[in-house]
Order: sequence, then C-alpha cells, then structure tokens
Amino acid sequence: MRGAPWICRPCLIRALRPLSRRHARFQSNAAANPESISPALLSRAHALAAEHSQLAQKLANGFDARAAKKLGEISAVANALKEWEKANESLTELRTLIRDPSTDDELRSLASDDVASSAEQLDQAAQALTTSLVPKHPFASLPCLIEIRPGAGGSEAAIFAGDLLRMYQAYCSRIGLRTALLKYENADGLPESDSPLSEAVLEIESEGAYGTFRCEAGVHRVQRVPATETKGRTHTSAASVLVLPSFPSEGSGEMEDFDNPESDYYIDPKEVRTDIMRARGAGGQHVNTTDSAVRLTHLPTNTVVSIQDSRSQPKNREKAWQLLRSRIAQARREKREEEMVAMRRSVVGVAKMGRGDKVRTYNWGQQRVTDHRSGLTVHDLTDVMGGGHTLEKVMESVRTWLIERDIEAVIAGDEINGDK
Amino acid sequence: MPRLTTGLLRHARSIDPLLTLLLRPCRDISSAQNELRWLREHAIKLEQNVNTRARVSGWRVLLRRLVAERARGKPLQYVMGSEYFGELEIACRPGVLIPRQETAASITCLADRLSRAKTLPSELRVLDLCTGTGCIPLLFQYQFWKTYQDEVSLHLLGVDVSSIAIQLANYNLRRLLKERQWQLQNRKMHGRSVQDLWGNKKLKSEVAAFQNTAFLLADVLVDPLSMTDHDPMPLKPAMQFTNKPPFWDVLISNPPYISPAAFNHTTARSVRAFEPKIALVPPSELDTPDVEQGDKFYPRLLTIADEVKVQLCLFEVADLNQAIRVARMVRDSSSWDGVEIWRDYPELANEHEEDRLHDGFEVIGQGNGRSVVCWRGRGAEWLSRANDVRSDRRRSSRIGA
Repeated sequence: MRGAPWICRPCLIRALRPLSRRHARFQSNAAANPESISPALLSRAHALAAEHSQLAQKLANGFDARAAKKLGEISAVANALKEWEKANESLTELRTLIRDPSTDDELRSLASDDVASSAEQLDQAAQALTTSLVPKHPFASLPCLIEIRPGAGGSEAAIFAGDLLRMYQAYCSRIGLRTALLKYENADGLPESDSPLSEAVLEIESEGAYGTFRCEAGVHRVQRVPATETKGRTHTSAASVLVLPSFPSEGSGEMEDFDNPESDYYIDPKEVRTDIMRARGAGGQHVNTTDSAVRLTHLPTNTVVSIQDSRSQPKNREKAWQLLRSRIAQARREKREEEMVAMRRSVVGVAKMGRGDKVRTYNWGQQRVTDHRSGLTVHDLTDVMGGGHTLEKVMESVRTWLIERDIEAVIAGDEINGDK
Repeated sequence: MPRLTTGLLRHARSIDPLLTLLLRPCRDISSAQNELRWLREHAIKLEQNVNTRARVSGWRVLLRRLVAERARGKPLQYVMGSEYFGELEIACRPGVLIPRQETAASITCLADRLSRAKTLPSELRVLDLCTGTGCIPLLFQYQFWKTYQDEVSLHLLGVDVSSIAIQLANYNLRRLLKERQWQLQNRKMHGRSVQDLWGNKKLKSEVAAFQNTAFLLADVLVDPLSMTDHDPMPLKPAMQFTNKPPFWDVLISNPPYISPAAFNHTTARSVRAFEPKIALVPPSELDTPDVEQGDKFYPRLLTIADEVKVQLCLFEVADLNQAIRVARMVRDSSSWDGVEIWRDYPELANEHEEDRLHDGFEVIGQGNGRSVVCWRGRGAEWLSRANDVRSDRRRSSRIGA
C-alpha cells in the first residue's frame, strides 16, 4: 500500500509559483516601452514637420541659404514622422478590421497575420523618430580616451581593471577601431602588463568613438571568487571607467585657417582696436618720425599686443596680428581644457568609486552580466569579457537607454520653455 | 623743447652709453632704444656686406659714427640710407624728401580700392607728380598686384623737378626690379606647386609694371605757355618730348604744401635742417598771403588733371583746414563728380560719427586730415563708390550750384 509520494513543502510552493516571476528583477530601471511615443515628443515632431513644410514652400519661391540649411536639418524628423504616421494608420486599420464583426473569417485571419509585422514596423518607425528628434551629443563624432582605475576591492579590483582593459581592446580590434595604449601602470608603478593594474588610459583614435563608448562610463562591479582568495569565498569589488572625448590637438599645424570662424585662430577684425603711435602735432611732411609701433587690443578679452621691432609699420602690424592670434588661441584652448577638467571632475563626482553606484555587474558565479541602467541581463560572460557580440548587445541597450534620457531632458527643457 | 632730465640720462647710460647720444634727437628712452637697435643691426649688416666691407673697420666703430651722426639731428632714414614705405624698402639720400608713413597709408588704401574695382580699363595709367624718391608709383603697383587678379597693363610715370630725386627714383626702380627678377628666376628653378605658379604670375606682372614705370624730370608748376626756355622743361612739353601718352587715368601727388610761416614754426628741427626745402615749401612769391603760398600747387595740379583728363585724383595735404580749402577748389572748378577727405589712416573706421562731415565734405578715417580725393566719370566705380552714385550726383549738383 503505497500512498502519494512525499513532496517537500518548498518544492510544492515553488511549483505553484507563477513561472514568469522567477527571474524578474526589481532593482533595475528597465527600458520604457519603445512602441509608445510620449505626447510631448510627438507634438514636438509635429511642430517641426509644420516648419518643414513651411520652409519647403519658401524655398520653392526662391533660394535662401539659411532656410535650405535648416530644411536639411529637420527633414529627417519630417520623414520619420511621415513613416510613423503611415505605420500607425495601417495598424489601426488592421485592428478595426479584426474587431469589426462584419469581416469574413478569411480576411480576419489575413489581417491578424499582418498585425504582427505592422506592429514591428510601427516599432521601428517610432525608434527612428525618437533618434531623429534627439539632439546628437556634441562630442559624439570625436575620438575618445578610456581611463580605467581599480575601485574598492584591493588587488582583486586591480585584476578586474586589467580584465576590463583587455575586454575593450578585444572589442575594438573586433569591430576595427584603432586604439593606442597611452598609459599603463600596474600596482607597483611599473609598465608591465600581467600584474594588477593601477591605471590605464586607452585612446580610441577612430572618429565617433566617443559616441560608441559614452555608455561605458561608470563603476563596473565584479562578483567572483578571486584568484587571491584561498577559502573560496565570493568577493564583490569594482573598477571605474572614465570616458572622455579626445579633442584634436589644434595648433600642431603651422598654417592655420584664419578665416574659418571655427578655428581657434579666428579673430573678428571688428573686435580689434588698432592704435598706431602717431606723430605728435601735424604729421605728414612736418615731421620725419621713426615711430613704427603698432598696438592691437582685442576688445572682448582685453588682450593687448604691442610691437615695435621693425622700422616698417606694416611688418609690425602683421607681427602684432600673428601674436594676437596665437595669444587668443592659447586662451581659448586653456578655457576648453578647463571645461574638460570640470567635466572629468563631474564624472568622477557622480560615479563614486564605491560598489553601490555601479552601472554594470559581472557575476562569474552565474556567468551573468547585468547592466543596471538598461536593465538588460545576458548570460554569456565569456563572450562579454572577450569583447564579443554580447558586449555589443549590452552597449547597444545602454545607448538606447541614454537616448531615452536625452529625450526626457529635451521634453523637460521644452516644458520649461513652454512654461515661460 | 624741455631739457632732458639728469635722471633720464643716467638711466640711459646705465643701459648703454650710446643711448645718451640718441636721447638728444629721440627725447624718450623707448624710441632711442629702438633706434639704437636698428642702427646696430645696420652696422653689423654693413660689416658683413661684400660691397661695403672694405670701407668698414668693425661694426662697433661704425655704430659709434652712425650714432654720432644721428645725435647731430640727421634723420635716421638718411643715416641708414633707407626707409620703409608700406612694405617696400625705399632708398633715401640727403636732398630728397624722406617718404612719410601717412603717405604710405593713403596710397595703400587707394591701391587696395582700385585693385578691388570691377571695371578697370585694359591699360591703367597712373601719374605721380612731385614723386621724390619714386616711392608712390613703386608702392602703388606693389600694393595693386597684391590683390588684383585679372590682366591689366599698368603704366606709371613719376615726375619731379629735382634731378637728384629722379636719379634716386630710377635707382629705387632698378633695385626693386632686379630683386623681383631674381626672385622670379629663383622660383622658376625651384618652385613647382600651384601656389608658386600664382606667385609667379604676380611677380611677372610686378616685373612688367616695373618695366612700364618711368621717371621724368619736369617742372609741374610752370605754365607751358608763359615761358619757353625753362630748365627743367614744363610738364607738357617734357611729356611730348619723351613720347609719353597724353592722357592718364589716375593722378597722385604729394606736392610741397607747407607755407613759409608754418615751415618756421611747426616743422620738426631735423626736417628743417636736413630735408630739402624745395620738397616742403612751394617757391615763395612776394606779396601773396602765407596760406595761399602753402596752397600754391593745388590749382596747378587741378589744371593738369583737366589737361591729361584723369578720372581720379589724390592730393596729399597738411591738415584738415588745407584739405577743406583744396576740396573747395575742387568743388568750385565744377568739373568733378565728387570729393572726399581722407585722414591719416583712411582704412580705419571714424572715431566719432559726428566727425564724418566737415563743411559739407565727407571725412573718413582716423588722424589728421591727410589727403583730398576727387573723382569723375568712371573714377567713382574704381573707388568702389558705384553703390552711392546717387549721392554723388546730389553732391555734384551741389557742386554745380
């Protein structure tokens, strides 16, 4: 006589629990539903499209360089909006067709087949629309510098920092970006590669690298049994990654384009006051002065240059302009470097070096990588650490998340402007 | 002139003993230091130069001699034998007026404007009366080719009454021509790039213009009908005699314009003592008022302008008052479409807006009133004044009235 086999209570409870809840994560701020577009963004798109048609009409009547430029800028938005509206319309049409009781069964089945594909289309169109609306990051097209430093966790953190560096190098070589290791220091202050890392700076020279790697900045957390651990306990440590845009080193070329307003060397002649040391009294034939000094004053910055080397006044003036240009360019470069330093500080300030403010976790025990911003979890840890496609997937998800934050910022900015 | 203070002299001596000597003509330490530096460079250059080396026994000795000359008040330009006129180095010798920077500024401005003009005749003829060192025609063509890009044949003629001046002008012309030809040859041997080709074209047109530049000994002031056997010849017979074209497009002149009283009171000591009076003061006549004597050249220049049918004139003057007097003469002659007054630096914007009109004449630039510019016919276009032809017409109708 056999009764029902004994089943332990926890197993029973686990079996009764709904399957879907098992791996849900609550601490990540998951991506918003990409299908729906926020009304604020949509109204912005509509406004831009209206402006687009207005400009097109204006250009049909006569050419205007500024209008043409503006048109080129917003035509992407207008096209994306048109696509989105088309997809939206077809989807609603299909849905009404399905819901309508008068449609015959064959048509209904066809329509329900199409719904999936047009929903996907709408999804894509919405994505395209949002990306076209989001302002491009001003430094996105620049090369970048990645700085990796171990955070909390002692020598294990230093080992992990080295792992991260190798991960990025492998990733870059896989997708064909040029890299250069600017600085590599191990814990003993020696530039040897196999011992734990204390600081490394990797330059990625390809254009647009900052746009690709912007998402990597922050604290990366690792959970594993370190090589240094003798008792088999899992440790949690962290390494910080800084990503900075690398500005092209201007001024390296001798001949600078003075007429280009983008150039550091550009000076608006209207902003410069020229003082020539004039002869006292009548001048002209009355005196034969040898004074050839020229003084230039750049009014916005109050930079003064005075030259009296040569007996020829035009030569002095040319020299003075040259000097003034290089001084102004120097000042501009210093200011930009200051801005960069401020940016670096703010990055360091936000991403504190602790384990708490992590952006991503690498868990060796579960062979899992989770990004805490996009909420994406992947399980091919080996591929991630080898810089493979899985890392690409994670980075892509973070970039999407960043774009959403940017959109939120744009909408918030619009609301502020609207309130005004 | 206030005395040089002992403190200043002591300070100069502590920097360089020669500075104390240079303080006499310069009066302040920074310009004395500049002059000493230039003289030192000049002395070293003379010592290294093959042609002058034999006459020089060490640059220190030479420098002391040069400084002593300068301390006696001789203009630095005569001591060093050259002066920068715009970007050109022009040779100077005693007996010929030293080119002035203000003249260079107005000639530069005029040449820049003409080189930017859209419609120029295929042969542009420029006449310079009272040319002295020949600096005006030489700088004009140099500055003109700096920006002008089309084909135009430039003819220049400089006229002076002094034979030393004509000699010096010809010397300056030869020197610059040789320099350009040498540069051109050098480029032909080494240059290959497009930039060099553009430079070659510019140099070639410069050489051509130098070859089309001439200097003529003639008396501007003498009326050709009143006297027959005058030495040097009056301008018109001299031009006919040397087969010069009878008609010209642009007339430039920096005539003697200082009145006898002003010469005694306002000119610098070194100007009075070392520069030729004939280049500064018009020949004096008894019982004419002082001011009229200073203006003596301008009516004659305007007559010549009519005779050779120029479209554009630039006359240098002493100050704003004389400029207004000359502009009135232009207005009264009623053969000109418009007239304006340029200050020392006409390319700079006016310091005060209310400064723009004086006695109904437009005054542009900064500094003292320096030149009177008048035009007629196509001269307005050459000056890039085509856009305000209407205001010129209005002005010309005012001139007519």
